[in-house]
Amino acid sequence: MIEVLTLTKVFNEFTAVKGLSFTVNPGEIYGLLGPNGSGKSTTMRMILGLLRPTEGTARVNGHDIKKEIVKAKKVMGYVPEEPVLPERLTGWEYVNYVSDIWKVPRGVEREEDIEELLTLLDIKDASDDLIETYSKGMSRKISLVAALVHKPQVLILDEVQAGIDPRGAATIKEILNGLRSRGATILMSTHVLEIAEQMCDRIGIINEGEMVAEGAMDELKVQAQGQSSLEEIFLTLTGGPDMQLIAQFLGEESGEMM
Amino acid sequence: MTISELITLLRQDITQNYRMRGAKGARTEKKTLNRPILWTIGGIVVGVIIIAAVLWIGPIIGWDVISQIVSENLGLGSTIFNAILLFAFLGSIMFAATTVGNSERMEYLLVMPVEMRTIFMEKYLLLIIYSSIFWLVIGTPIIIGFSILAAHPIGYLSILAFVILVLSEVTIGTSIGGLLGLAFAKVLAGRRRLKQIGWAIMTSLGIVVGSLWYASIYLGEGAGWFNQIIDIAMALGFASDLTPGYYVSVMTLGLLVGAPLSIQHFFATLLIPLSAGGLLYLNSYVSELAHYSGWMRSESKRTPKEKVLEEHPPWNPNPFPRLQMSITTSVSMWYNLTSVKRESKVFTQYLLGPLRYLIWLILPVFAWGDELLFILPYMLTAALVSLAVSYGVSFAGYETVYEGRNLMNLQLAAANMSDYVKGKVLSAVPFTIAAASIVGVFYLIFLPATWFQIPAMVIGCIFVNLVAGAIAANAGASNGDFKAERMFTRQRGAAVRPPIKGLAIIKAQLIPNAYGYMGLFGLVLGSTFIATVYGLLVGILALYLLLPVFALISLRLYRSYSFKAGVKLAQLEASEYL
Repeated sequence: MIEVLTLTKVFNEFTAVKGLSFTVNPGEIYGLLGPNGSGKSTTMRMILGLLRPTEGTARVNGHDIKKEIVKAKKVMGYVPEEPVLPERLTGWEYVNYVSDIWKVPRGVEREEDIEELLTLLDIKDASDDLIETYSKGMSRKISLVAALVHKPQVLILDEVQAGIDPRGAATIKEILNGLRSRGATILMSTHVLEIAEQMCDRIGIINEGEMVAEGAMDELKVQAQGQSSLEEIFLTLTGGPDMQLIAQFLGEESGEMM
Repeated sequence: MTISELITLLRQDITQNYRMRGAKGARTEKKTLNRPILWTIGGIVVGVIIIAAVLWIGPIIGWDVISQIVSENLGLGSTIFNAILLFAFLGSIMFAATTVGNSERMEYLLVMPVEMRTIFMEKYLLLIIYSSIFWLVIGTPIIIGFSILAAHPIGYLSILAFVILVLSEVTIGTSIGGLLGLAFAKVLAGRRRLKQIGWAIMTSLGIVVGSLWYASIYLGEGAGWFNQIIDIAMALGFASDLTPGYYVSVMTLGLLVGAPLSIQHFFATLLIPLSAGGLLYLNSYVSELAHYSGWMRSESKRTPKEKVLEEHPPWNPNPFPRLQMSITTSVSMWYNLTSVKRESKVFTQYLLGPLRYLIWLILPVFAWGDELLFILPYMLTAALVSLAVSYGVSFAGYETVYEGRNLMNLQLAAANMSDYVKGKVLSAVPFTIAAASIVGVFYLIFLPATWFQIPAMVIGCIFVNLVAGAIAANAGASNGDFKAERMFTRQRGAAVRPPIKGLAIIKAQLIPNAYGYMGLFGLVLGSTFIATVYGLLVGILALYLLLPVFALISLRLYRSYSFKAGVKLAQLEASEYL
């Protein structure tokens, strides 16, 4: 379970996250949506203990991130938007290394679990290659294997499906659904509204560091005065594109082309 | 923090950086593992040779004599042991700040259920191991050799004492250096202009003071330079008995010869590993604070009290006045200058760095006085060539490699890469003219009779610079680490590692130097000879007739190597730089 309690992060004089509060329950996938720079990644990084909140706190399975961050990390798995991994290790070495740190007992069972995950995510053939040779999608997949290998109770995913091939994306979707049914707490951010609509039990929309709407799809529709799709709700709450500027740009472009 | 976590982290880092086993995967390029294996074998061989040498020489002098000398001077090794600490300190001043500044690159470590200070401590331990290897590989066999000669059981304890105390000294040095670096970073956080000025001053001071120090050693009488080092060390208290080096020396040598050691000595020596552990922990703790506080974030800046609206006028780089060049060359030249100037440390390093070795070329003349005055013009010419080559290598060679991800834009824009390389080469020319003119003034002061050669030397120097830049750019395009970054807080591996790898960097230095020496020396010697035989006027005429020939050959080489470099850059695969 993740409990975010009036979390605030100020960088110099810029407030990236303003008093954000929400809860993600076990057996639930919570989608964090928002435009670029709205504070999604900062929020996740605070929950993960990578950044220290300026104010407020969060609890992960009851562990306060300000006081018991190591215990909180112990139950968490994380897949970043752009994984930075040890390039001079092979995928297999990296996953084993992560397993050692999370104290997953060595032995046949661990090896079978790793192999199963590698096969599932279609990356087993590349597991003996150095990570520096991996594509972005492969890095993300090996990062997901590493996040899952210690069977986390809480999973945090930042744009996990970006750059993944359709088969991989479908596999990830199935894995996440499976973890949810086993009672895992999943917090994910995505820009693909279709994925959020299909997968998330509840959605929080943040804009400029503040929660502007939260709830299940039906509740969001009510909050956004009857908009029918998540895209419409999102654009209503966070502001749509500037049509005048677009028209101006296209006008200039077509003028140049002529 | 647990020892098992530290060991797991350390094992992974060593496996990663020092692979003794290749990766089996089909996608991975099979690289030779000779280097780590040869280094290991080399270390063992050196150790065995040192032990053998000690065992051979020892009996010739006689253990009794050695034992007596050592017993009477247990502080004999103070200077060396203090120097170890000093070197560790100097070599690691920015290491902690760089590690914390780069923490985003180790996010996969920071999310692990391990205290952040443990992760930082592991990085510092790795540095300590690397910084100690040289001393341990050289020193341990010496102590082992003498312990065998001593032939008493307590003597063998000196090996253990040596290893533990040297590691402790390096730990103290690196930890104090790390803390100092973090303190600097804290003071300068967000103050970009102050940081830039600070870097420029510090770098210049480092180079100039270092060069003057060489000079003072060189200008000392006869072989007195070694004594000067000892004098400086003594003056700074490095041979005193209140320094860590003294106690390391007393304990190691005392155990070796079985000298009676007081309880105060044991207590004082025990403080060394204890304070090393304490400082290491403090450094790791402060690094954790620095990470959380965010003041090491490279993009952080202090917001001014008053809101300043920045206006960006259209960027319209102009080429050199009266010089025809393509738009690509012009843009490349100005982009190169702008990006180098933005990092004052790099800029100063590029411009003043060559002073470090130029001093060695000119000093012999001053050191030995009038007897060597006749070689001064050649030494000054050599200095000119070295300057021109150095600027070419930095501005064109290194900067071509530091293009990194920008190469993708250039490739997609289908820019003429040869023109782009030419821009980088040309960006060094104004600095070469300025530096060559300064050397030219020295030329005129010390050798006024050679006035007629000075303009030719300065002009020749420009052409050497063009050739050097093009050759270096070609070397960079062939064997550059395109993922290396110029900013010191973002560099992969060692901060001072040249971005051009292997033999390519040696070729990039040697070939233009050889070309420059041949060309400019040819001009100097040829014109001097003709002036001596046929008179000054004919000498001047010959010099200025030969100069265009040299210039034409140089231009041809510049075009040829720029073209080759451009083709290589255009053909570079994205996996090399992304």
